[in-house]
Amino acid sequence: MTHVHVDELDRIELPEGFVWRPVRRRFDIRAFGVNAYSPREAGAQVVEEHTEQQLEHEEIYLVLRGRARFTLDGAEHELGPGELVFVRDPKVRRGAVGLTDDTIVLALGGKPGEAYEPSAWEAMFAAVPAMEREDWDEAIRLHEEALADQPEHPALLYNLACMEARGGRRLDALLHLKRATELDPKWIDAAAKDSDFASIRDEPGFPG
Amino acid sequence: MSSGYEILSLDDLPAYESPNHGDARLMPLRSRLGLRAFGANCWTAETGKQIVPTHEEDSGHEELYVVVRGRARFTLGDETFDAPAGTLVHARAGTTREAFAEEAGTIVLAVGATPGEAFEAQGWDDVVVAFAEATAGNVDRGRATMREVAARDADHWGPEYNLACFEARFGDRELAFEHLRAAAARNPDEVQGYLRHDPDLDSLRDDPRFQELVA
Repeated sequence: MTHVHVDELDRIELPEGFVWRPVRRRFDIRAFGVNAYSPREAGAQVVEEHTEQQLEHEEIYLVLRGRARFTLDGAEHELGPGELVFVRDPKVRRGAVGLTDDTIVLALGGKPGEAYEPSAWEAMFAAVPAMEREDWDEAIRLHEEALADQPEHPALLYNLACMEARGGRRLDALLHLKRATELDPKWIDAAAKDSDFASIRDEPGFPG
Repeated sequence: MSSGYEILSLDDLPAYESPNHGDARLMPLRSRLGLRAFGANCWTAETGKQIVPTHEEDSGHEELYVVVRGRARFTLGDETFDAPAGTLVHARAGTTREAFAEEAGTIVLAVGATPGEAFEAQGWDDVVVAFAEATAGNVDRGRATMREVAARDADHWGPEYNLACFEARFGDRELAFEHLRAAAARNPDEVQGYLRHDPDLDSLRDDPRFQELVA
């Protein structure tokens, strides 16, 4: 596969109201981050409200089609086709609403001074359709695929444990949850309240 | 506007002719934005002209081309295809690629970096701008850009060689030889390969010092 039109990209609707159109995964790009987004309908979110403080990426958001209203640290800017916003400061809170049904925003990102690593959230987003149809085997497979690249990623391990618990793989879930909480203790509190772990919360070895 | 972000229309980017890129005109995005994590530049060309020059990306970069506006006809290896606006084209390092503009106003965004390595700007895009500035009569501005590029990569032969080309075409013959000798001292084999055929150096060829440099 060498080329694709943005309209042929997969559409993965996310609970926040925007539609993820995976580009990096489509081509298995390893040198920089790139994805497209569209709104579920005119007026819906097209770029999730977020900062890049965790990944420290600088990012370009280029409007390929339609119109989008960006909010950048509280200031609104309406952009049309061929217009972009470059967010060099990871602390800037950014998000955008698609003003037309056909809006497409291309997002490019990477961390200056470091080799690019695929972001763990891509596997989590990619697993959303499988989770919605409760296809736990497929959701687990997508997480394991991402963990092959980043085996010690706490959030990926935690999410994998969630999928395994839901899919009845109780021992795997406990092992991966334990590893996630060893790597980052913040997941102990999250696990205590997470309904995905209802089936294993009373097991010996459940972190807490 | 916050300094943490910048808004830009691609229509506001100038389009520079480049002696090394045929009919394709560079719209320098990376340097305009000060991108540090990956390379990104736009290209435009008249209808029927080459908008992505034929190359294999021997830098090791993998590249994504985005047809932002208009329409292009791409060839990757043995495959040729139509690419209307909204088409994304992926090319790994080593794949021969080229594209021709099929409509007036076509813009192709090229994004690139090397997998597994932190991105470092090679400065070729700054060199295109510097030569274009000098061609338009702004030699001092072009020279300043060339020197900035050389200062970023002081150990490499390339920036010194490019400075020699710049001075040979637009400036000081003495400086041209100074830069040429500095480039040859850093990598004699590479410089020899270019010396004999590079038209940028034509103004120096009748000088005995040039003959001394040609082994």
